Amino acid sequence: MDKLIDDELLVAQFQAGRQNAFDELMKRYKSKIFSYLLRSVRNYEDAEDITIEVFFKAYRALEGWQPKAKFSTWLYKIASNLAIDYHRAKARNPVYALEDTEIPEAHLVATDLYSDPEKQLEEKERGIIIREAVDQLSPKQKAVFMLSRYEGLQLKEVAETLDMAEGTVKIHLHRAVKRLQTLLRPLWENNEI
Amino acid sequence: MPTCKKSEGQAIDYASKLLPPAEEDPFEQHLKDCEDCTAAVEAYRAVLELTDEAEEELVLPELALQNIEMNVYKRLAATQQEQTLLTRIRAYFANLGSPFGWYKTAAVSSMAIALIITAVLVGKPFQPQQTLQLTEAQSADARIEQYRQQGIQRNLEEALITQHLRNDTWETESQLHRMKEQAQGTNWTKVADKQLENLQSRTLNRAQRNDPSKN
Repeated sequence: MDKLIDDELLVAQFQAGRQNAFDELMKRYKSKIFSYLLRSVRNYEDAEDITIEVFFKAYRALEGWQPKAKFSTWLYKIASNLAIDYHRAKARNPVYALEDTEIPEAHLVATDLYSDPEKQLEEKERGIIIREAVDQLSPKQKAVFMLSRYEGLQLKEVAETLDMAEGTVKIHLHRAVKRLQTLLRPLWENNEI
Repeated sequence: MPTCKKSEGQAIDYASKLLPPAEEDPFEQHLKDCEDCTAAVEAYRAVLELTDEAEEELVLPELALQNIEMNVYKRLAATQQEQTLLTRIRAYFANLGSPFGWYKTAAVSSMAIALIITAVLVGKPFQPQQTLQLTEAQSADARIEQYRQQGIQRNLEEALITQHLRNDTWETESQLHRMKEQAQGTNWTKVADKQLENLQSRTLNRAQRNDPSKN
C-alpha cells in the first residue's frame, strides 16, 4: 500500500470495508504507540498489552469515527487514557507493582561490547537517574512532556489528546521542565553530567 | 534561578523551540541584556537535551512488535465469538419471554426437524447459512492465520541469517525451535526439522574436524 496515503483516507477505506487499511494503520503506529506506552508504564509486558488494547479499541470504534481531529491524535488519546487507567489501578493496588517485570537495563542503553565498560556503567546510571526524574513528574506533567518532547506532537495536538486547553498544556510543560531542572540539579552540581 | 520572572515561561518555550515566531526576535533582544534569562535558557536547554538523550536509548522488543497485529486480531476474534454466543442466548430468552414464544419455538423446531429429515433423505448434508457476525469472526481468524504464517516465515529467515552471517549455532537452533513451535500442525514443522538436522550434522562435522582423534 502506498505510504503517502493519508491516515484519514485509510480510515475511510476501512469504513468502506477494506480490512487491509487497518493493517496499514497498525503498521504505521504500533512502534510509536508502543514506545509512548513503554515510557509511560516502564514495563514491557504491560506496554505490549496496552498497545494491543489501543488497537482493539480503535478497531471497534473506527466504524463511527469522524475526522474531527487527526487519526494519530485520536490514537494517542486512547493510549493516554489507558495509561492513566493503568497508573490509577497500580496506585490502588500495590501488589500490582510487585508483579512488575521492569525494563531490563540492557534494553535501555544500547550495548557496545567494545567500548569502555566503566564509562558504559556511568552512562547507564545517568540514564536511570534522568528517567527516574521524568517518572517523578505528576501524571499530567509527564503526559504533556512525553507527547510534546518524544512523540513530536504540536501543542494543539497535545491539548486535543489530553482534553486540555492549549494554555493549560503550556503551564504543565513549564512546570515539568522546571521540576526536571530542580530534580537533576544535584547531578549538575556534583559535575556528574 | 533568574530574578527576571517575567520571562521564565518564555525562556522555557525558547529552549523548547515552542516560542511563537512573533515573540522570538524581541526575546532574543531581551537575552542580549539579561544574564539571568540567558543562563536560564542554557539550563533548560541542557535539561531537555539530557532527557531527550536518555529516552532515545529506549529499545523496543522486536518480537513483541511483530506480534501486535496478530494479538489484536486474536482479541477481536475472541470478542466476536463471545458476542455471537451472547446474541444467541439473548435471542433465545427474548423468544421465551414473548406471549407467543411457545408457539414460535414449536414452529421453528418443527421446521428445523423437517429440514434435517429432508436433508438426510435427499442425501445432501444440511448447510446452515452463516450469519454476518460469523463472517466477521472468520475474517479476524483469517488474519490471525495470515500473521501466524508471516511470523513462521520471519523466524525461519532470521534463523538462516543467523546461521550464515553470525555463525551462531545456539541462536540458530533456538530460532528454529521457536519456528517449529509456532508452526505446529503445518508443513513448516518438516522444514524446521530438516534445518535442525542439517545444523546438527554440520556441528558434528565441525567438531570432528577440530578433534580428529574422535574419527
